[in-house]
Amino acid sequence: MKVAFYCILYLTYEIVEANISGEDDCGFSEAWLEQLTIWREIQKSGFHRELVTEVLCSTEIPGDLRVLLVQRLPSGVYIDRYQLASHRSEAALQVLLDTELDLEAPTYSSADFTTFLFPSWDLDGGGVRRLLAMVPIHMRYQRPSRSGERWERVDIEAPHLLLRTDSCKQPPLLPPYRLVESPCTAHNLSTCTWLEVPPRQVQTALTLHVPVGDQSLVVSVCAGTLLATLFCFGAVASAVCKHGLRR
Amino acid sequence: MNTVTVPAMDRAGAVLTGKRLLFASALLMRILMTFFGMYQDETMEVKYTDIDYHVFTDASRFVTQGASPYRRSTYRYTPLLAWMLAPNIYLSVHFGKLLFMACDLISGYLTYSILRRRGMPCQLACRYCSLWLLNPLPAGVSSRGNAEGLLAALVLATLACLEDGHPARAGAFYGLSVHMKIYPVTYALPIALSLRAAPGRGTSVTVPPHCGGKLVKALRRFLNRDLLVFAAVSGSVFCGFTLLFYQMYGWEFLQETYLYHLTRRDIRHNFSAYFYMLYLTAESSWSLALGLAAFLPQLALLLLTSLAYHSDLAFCCFLNTAIFVCFNKVCTSQYFLWYLCLMPLVLPRLAMSLRRGLALLVLWFAGQAVWLAPAYLLEFEGQNTFVLVWLAGLLFLLINTYVLVEIICHYKPEQRTKLD
Repeated sequence: MKVAFYCILYLTYEIVEANISGEDDCGFSEAWLEQLTIWREIQKSGFHRELVTEVLCSTEIPGDLRVLLVQRLPSGVYIDRYQLASHRSEAALQVLLDTELDLEAPTYSSADFTTFLFPSWDLDGGGVRRLLAMVPIHMRYQRPSRSGERWERVDIEAPHLLLRTDSCKQPPLLPPYRLVESPCTAHNLSTCTWLEVPPRQVQTALTLHVPVGDQSLVVSVCAGTLLATLFCFGAVASAVCKHGLRR
Repeated sequence: MNTVTVPAMDRAGAVLTGKRLLFASALLMRILMTFFGMYQDETMEVKYTDIDYHVFTDASRFVTQGASPYRRSTYRYTPLLAWMLAPNIYLSVHFGKLLFMACDLISGYLTYSILRRRGMPCQLACRYCSLWLLNPLPAGVSSRGNAEGLLAALVLATLACLEDGHPARAGAFYGLSVHMKIYPVTYALPIALSLRAAPGRGTSVTVPPHCGGKLVKALRRFLNRDLLVFAAVSGSVFCGFTLLFYQMYGWEFLQETYLYHLTRRDIRHNFSAYFYMLYLTAESSWSLALGLAAFLPQLALLLLTSLAYHSDLAFCCFLNTAIFVCFNKVCTSQYFLWYLCLMPLVLPRLAMSLRRGLALLVLWFAGQAVWLAPAYLLEFEGQNTFVLVWLAGLLFLLINTYVLVEIICHYKPEQRTKLD
């Protein structure tokens, strides 16, 4: 009798725990996932900007939730990883790049690349949990314009929002959300399974405008530069010949 | 050599105190600027320390780990510099700044030595040296972590040794300076011309008597002991370091230390008058021809000034450096220090009123300000000021040319001050 009692107790415990796990889904539920919102902004002007991404959540979140923003950036933009390293101690944001970037190349010699942003949650005054990622980005020189345009447009697409928890090795499969493989941490590119969540976007794409040269001026610029150089050469040469060589 | 007779001990004391006070003030100024820089780096968004210093330190970290310094992106210097700054990793990250500031003071001392050797009184020499030692521009550059002070010390050491009649030592410093930065190679011809034998004198190397002709006689003058010693030592030092580091780091060393600078065409905005032309023609088939067209005036002027002024090496090196910088395809403000360090040697022989000199200085600064305004709007405000930046670059070239011509016209060489 005693043995039977303990067996029933154990089985009851297992059934209850399985039900709890099934109901929590690692802390993810459709209702909770659907209220996530992303807001984005480009701060500063010129060739040195800041890409600001906020993920807003108005309800309770799992304590061990990990968030990853996978941001694809175009060739007209680059990130200085040495600048990131110097700022890492000042901010909770960690950034991983999928490739080495040439910091000096123009747009037409560069390629698109992907950044993996690992920000931390922050609680603002209104009780809304938000995630803030501020990444310094820099604009590359663009090919000169042949159509007289003074600025070139650079679009930054929306990031992918990936979630997982430390307690769950495998996030639950919750259609229509899908599971993807992405880096676990900012330290290396070894991957974990994440749940990709398309949140409500305030903006779908951000647009930057970068000043570009005017190709139609090439003849004037070359002629003007070479004439000025020749004039200066003549002036210095004449002075040297008059005061130097005749001594 | 002229000797200074000191009639009283208190007069000598006053003189020594003036020199000591000058160097002490220069050192204090640099230390204070470094401390301010540390404070600014900790508390303000705009950092005091130059990006280049972080590049040097990162490269040093790699060499202390047994790796190549070129793993650090944009490190385009000799591995020797990364090795010299290894104490940045083992002792303090500020070691390099102290090293560069020490080089500033050494440059000041070398300038003082050269001026004194020319017979200039101590107080006057100190006054000219203060133009470098108490100048906030080189002090700021060194305290921010740029290595230009190191090159200044090497170039001035070369000139000091040549004036002292030590060609071997001069060759060693010269070979090292060319290894660290390429621009001192423009001094090779004037040094060679100044070290060759005087016309009509026999050379120390025996040449068969039947060799005649003006060209052969001219070439025979180069077969001079001092010149051969200088060339051998400088060539050995340069080639020695090149072979050593090629052995350690391979082709990447040659590419980043030498070839990058020889072929560099920066299409991003800088002081050079060529910047916009190079930007618009970067992908054009005319790019190579235009690059060559830009190089020819620079080369021709360097040859001309070398032939004209090689007997006054300090002035010739000053002119060569100024011409190299002004007519270069890339020009940044750090390059100005390459000829600024030679100004104290040039100014004593400049027969120009203070008013005129100050007017030229103000004009030179105004030219930079006119360029900086549209460049700031372009880089930090995103306004399309490419044409204005280009025109400002042309204007700056014209101003530099005018200043150079004024200096050439008012320079009176070989005015030695004799003291009884």
